[in-house]
Amino acid sequence: MKNIVIGRYVPGNSFLYSMDPRTKLIALIVLMVAAFLIQSFAHMLVALLLVTSLLIFGKISVKRVYLGLRPLMFLLFFTFIFQILFNQEGDEIFVLPLHYTALSIFAAVAVAVFWFATKKRVRFKLLYFLITVVAIFAVFHFIDFGFLFARGTFRVFEEGLSTAFFIMVRLIIIIMLSTILTITTKPTDLNLGLERVLKPLGIVRINTEEIAMIISIALRYIPTLLDEANKIMLAQASRGVDFQEGKLKDKVVQIISLLVPMFIISFQRSDDLANAMEARSFVPGQPRTRLHVLTWKRLDTVAMVVSFLALTFVIVSRVVL
Amino acid sequence: MAIKFERVGYEYQDIDGKGYLALADITLNINKTGEFITLIGETGSGKSTLAQHMNALLTPTEGRVHIFGVKISREGKKDKNLKLNPIRQKVGLVFQFPEYQLFEETVGNDIAFGPKNFGVSEKEAEERAKKMINIVGLDESYLSRSPFNLSGGEKKRVSIAGILAMEPDILVLDEPTSGLDPLGRNALLKVFYEIHQKLDKTVVIITHDMNTVYEYAKRVLVMREGNLVYDGAPTQLFSRKNVKNWNLDVPDILKVRRAIEEKLGITIEGETRNKADLMAKIGEALR
Repeated sequence: MKNIVIGRYVPGNSFLYSMDPRTKLIALIVLMVAAFLIQSFAHMLVALLLVTSLLIFGKISVKRVYLGLRPLMFLLFFTFIFQILFNQEGDEIFVLPLHYTALSIFAAVAVAVFWFATKKRVRFKLLYFLITVVAIFAVFHFIDFGFLFARGTFRVFEEGLSTAFFIMVRLIIIIMLSTILTITTKPTDLNLGLERVLKPLGIVRINTEEIAMIISIALRYIPTLLDEANKIMLAQASRGVDFQEGKLKDKVVQIISLLVPMFIISFQRSDDLANAMEARSFVPGQPRTRLHVLTWKRLDTVAMVVSFLALTFVIVSRVVL
Repeated sequence: MAIKFERVGYEYQDIDGKGYLALADITLNINKTGEFITLIGETGSGKSTLAQHMNALLTPTEGRVHIFGVKISREGKKDKNLKLNPIRQKVGLVFQFPEYQLFEETVGNDIAFGPKNFGVSEKEAEERAKKMINIVGLDESYLSRSPFNLSGGEKKRVSIAGILAMEPDILVLDEPTSGLDPLGRNALLKVFYEIHQKLDKTVVIITHDMNTVYEYAKRVLVMREGNLVYDGAPTQLFSRKNVKNWNLDVPDILKVRRAIEEKLGITIEGETRNKADLMAKIGEALR
């Protein structure tokens, strides 16, 4: 639970830290759009490489970002499989005849049961799951004797595979970029940056200051609430709630025993925060002075130009190719 | 020996793998019966971390903890047959903030939640809820109320009743009297003392209040920067010279006693744990 890094600021010292939050925000949006527009396989890999090198030159530990990605692995994996199974456009690039016989179904079930029984003892769970899936396919492919019910084929289409790849890499790039932003930017700076970036919306009577405040408070409270959740789990564990085990019925009670205090504490926290803000004369919409004033440096101009160049390059290559 | 710490260390892991040592090399024995222990130390000295080792909520990163014969260690953590739940029934731990555990619709259900988790029948759990709500100083009308509409002190009492209802052999309380008014605090401390005396159970209390320590405790543990620096009787603790270095206040009774000794030029013999003791001893000394 503590490994979730989204939204957590980590003090450090590199060019990413000294950049203006406005630059980082705009660059993030521009680069995200660029990542969405990329259509060529090679460009995608280059983009992934560039973002990774940004981590390295920005002195952010890759391990930390990887740890942040880990909870999302399942989501990434799921979208990947989903695309491969259901997107049936383009050429077939892989065909695997399958035989559903009494023996092969029995063997497949046996493999699945074996996986279920042993999965808790294995360290690399995702890899183990993958191996099991491959094993099940192999069983259906190779065991063609026994009592045959039906034949089928497993097809992978070119479009499916490429879409799956693009979606996955895009998601990874987006998560990495936004993690860089939150790791290197103090919540207060982020707030100020957001406010300034959104300022033009003020023309259509949207209170950008409030929106910025809401977003930054939400980001700020993610790690706090995770800590609270951890404490609640400990407190309930000492009353005999076993979060590791239990049947479905027990699971429901376990989750309720976690969620209800969580809810109450969040409301209490926000109430306290509102009072603390009011006690320091915070009035929504009133102009306020700042302790830190944002300064635009040459580095920011460079970063801006580079990100817009990247976007232009992607658009041009999309139009030309 | 009910709880036995063998050279226990605990390191909180940062996300980069940077560690923060919360406990260092702690060796300690706690008996199943007859102990009334207070655990003191500055904030951040590792008191709560130590307490959370006592019912296996945390697994030591170094050394071993034996709780009722079950060995808790880093190596043994992967053992799937290791059942921690029975330990948590035997060693009841009350957290400092009741907000972390209250969740049921009524106070009664919330108190009965713990026992039910440990396989106590519905009826029996309700019986216990009734009994415990009285013990912590609230009446039975509270049982049907929502735990969220109570005052801070009442919530605290309900959360304590929730652990008492599990009927643990050893009771560990993390600052049970913080946020209570002085009268309520004394009443609750008496409850713990009674549990200790009548049922001969071991009670461990984390506190900042030196008066509690001096009046009730048979044994004090002093934590400082993750180390256990003192383990012994409270009367000897405050006569030590280095007590000042540990940022501990001197109990009121002791201050009064020392002032009287100085002003009247007399020496009072023996221990004076509470007011009545002190009065009697002053009388003796003046005669």
